[in-house]
This record gives sequence, structure tokens and C-alpha cells, in this order.
Amino acid sequence: MLTLETIDLNGIQSLYSLSNRLKLNNILPTEIAIWKLRNNNPMRKSHINNNIKLKEFDALIKLAFEMSKYLYPYIRNILQSRDDFEKNPSIWNDFKKRFTELINERFNVDSMKVKKLLDPKENDKILIHSLLTLALCNSDEGYQKLRNYLIDF
Amino acid sequence: MLQNKLLFNQSSVSFEIIGLPDYSNDENKEQISIISQWKLMIIDKPLIEGNFEHLSSIMEAFYNYSNFLINNEIAFYQSNLIDIRLDNFLTHNILLKSAKKDVKPLNIIIGNSVLSDIINCFDQFNSSNKVRNVNLKLLKNNQKKSLLKLFNKSKISSILFPPLISIFSLFIFSSIYFYLYDADGYKEKNVFLNSLKISHSINSINTIL
Repeated sequence: MLTLETIDLNGIQSLYSLSNRLKLNNILPTEIAIWKLRNNNPMRKSHINNNIKLKEFDALIKLAFEMSKYLYPYIRNILQSRDDFEKNPSIWNDFKKRFTELINERFNVDSMKVKKLLDPKENDKILIHSLLTLALCNSDEGYQKLRNYLIDF
Repeated sequence: MLQNKLLFNQSSVSFEIIGLPDYSNDENKEQISIISQWKLMIIDKPLIEGNFEHLSSIMEAFYNYSNFLINNEIAFYQSNLIDIRLDNFLTHNILLKSAKKDVKPLNIIIGNSVLSDIINCFDQFNSSNKVRNVNLKLLKNNQKKSLLKLFNKSKISSILFPPLISIFSLFIFSSIYFYLYDADGYKEKNVFLNSLKISHSINSINTIL
């Protein structure tokens, strides 16, 4: 989700309007509800253990899947910029810069996992994998693919 | 007879399907149910084409490979027709093998963006109602099969046997000790030692006095 938010500058509002469009209001009624669920991530500064329910977990995956569909052209451009890094590094560099800014702003930077995300030698691989996963989960079966991956994670 | 053509595009990739409708089922003229040929066109790369049987193998390879990538598994797919492997996390090496003896294998290297375009084209093709859905079920079954292939029996035994043997040997040793242990004898020994201690202490008090 943070990868999607890195691409979409109004990520939180987009996620909320998308949840309305997908009729997920009963599970995700407000932006704060989405924010609270995302705080289940132990790497976040404002981590709260909410005991996330299965329907909430599914709703978040649905949101991520639909967002990745909308953002596919951007995701593809970023991947292409990394593929042709010598010719066109600016898009990749901008994406990476904004991602590290968001990590510094919202994540607990003392954690080893977060340090790994900020390490310029290591985070390329992590970022490419998350972008590629979103790009490959675009089809009708993409939601199930993404769900299977996240459940096994 | 004029054949129908369907084109699925995504950025740097075009996927063309050529075939005929199944007139015996009163299908629409624009429908393609009998696929005779397909072409996968990637910008700056050689054309990949084949017949229906090749199509299912190629799609199967790409879908399985992409699933390996998503699930962070060893990204390598091998079949009679196509091999795909991850060179580094940036490029994918595709080796297309021809069924004809004289034709040399074709090697194509693509990036992540092109791979996602190819999968996107295949997804469009799968979800299109103008063309017969070829191989979704087949793919699911094969995904399971290929995943099962990854489980090597010798690997499993090498992982499972050492801890099982150690647990079993611990159980045997503890049960032997449990049966050999003589509780009554231990009690008698303790009583004898205590009586010795008491007599020693009486002796020592006497000497002090």
C-alpha cells in the first residue's frame, strides 16, 4: 500500500474514494478506519495491535488490487525507468526518493526491517519486487494472486 | 475463407490471435473459437509465433514463471518448448526451442516492464469474450503440478530425518531410564545416610562436650 501511496500523491483520499466505489463502506467507513487498519503493521511508528479481521484484510487487498489496476501505467513507467536506468533514471530516482521520505516519516527507523528498506543497496530489489507484484496482479484473478501471496507472506 | 484477427495491446507488446468461429455452434462471425495462429510482438525483439498447442505452452510458462516471481520462489521455468529464468532481479532470459531439428533456439532477454506487458496481454486475451478461453483450468492444474515438482523427496527427508531421529532417541533413552530407576532402593539409601549423619553429629557433640 505504501508503494501505491508513493505513486499516488493523494493516496489516502484515493483509497477512501475507491472503497466507497467498491461498496466497502461497512468495513472501511472512514479514512481513519483505513488508517487504523494500516497501523497494524509493526514497522509503523504509530503501530497499534487491532487484531485485524479477515473481512478487513480482504477489503484492504481489494483496495490495493483495484488501485494497482488504475495505477498500472505509472507502475509500468517506473519499472521501465529502472530497466533503462542509464537512459532514463529520473522516474525511478523520484519514486525511490518519495518512498524513502514516506518511510522516514511513518515507519520506525530504528527497526532492522525498516533499516533494510532504507538501505540504498538493498531496497532496489524490494521495491522492484513490490512493483512487479502489483503489475502482475492486474487481471481478474489478480485479487486472488495478491491474496495468496500476502497470506503466505 | 477469411480468418478473424484479434489484437491485444499493452505498451511495448502486441498479441495477435488468428482463427475462425465455430459455425457448428452458431457462433458470431467475429468470434474466434478455433485458433490457427498467434503472434507475440515485442518492440525491438524478434517475433514469436506458433499454433494453438504452442500457445497453451507459452502462456503456461509465462503464468507459472510470474507466479514464482510473485511468491518469491526460485524463478525458473523449463519445458520442451520454452525456458524462462531470472538473470538478476532486472532481466528475464527466455529461450525458445523449436520442434524442428535444424532451427536453433531463440534467446530473448526482457526487462520487468516488458514481462508485465506480456502478462497483461495474456490477461486481456483470457478475459475477452470474443475468443475461446483456452487454458485457465489447465494453468491452475499445472501450477499445482509444477509446485509439487519443486518438492524434492530427498530434500524433505534430509530436513525431516535428523530432528525425528533425535526426538526418537531421546524418547527411548528416557523410557529406559524410567524403567530402570529403582525408587524404593533410593529411599532406603537416603534413610541409611540420614542415620549415619545423626550418629556422626552425636559423636561430634560428645567430643566437643
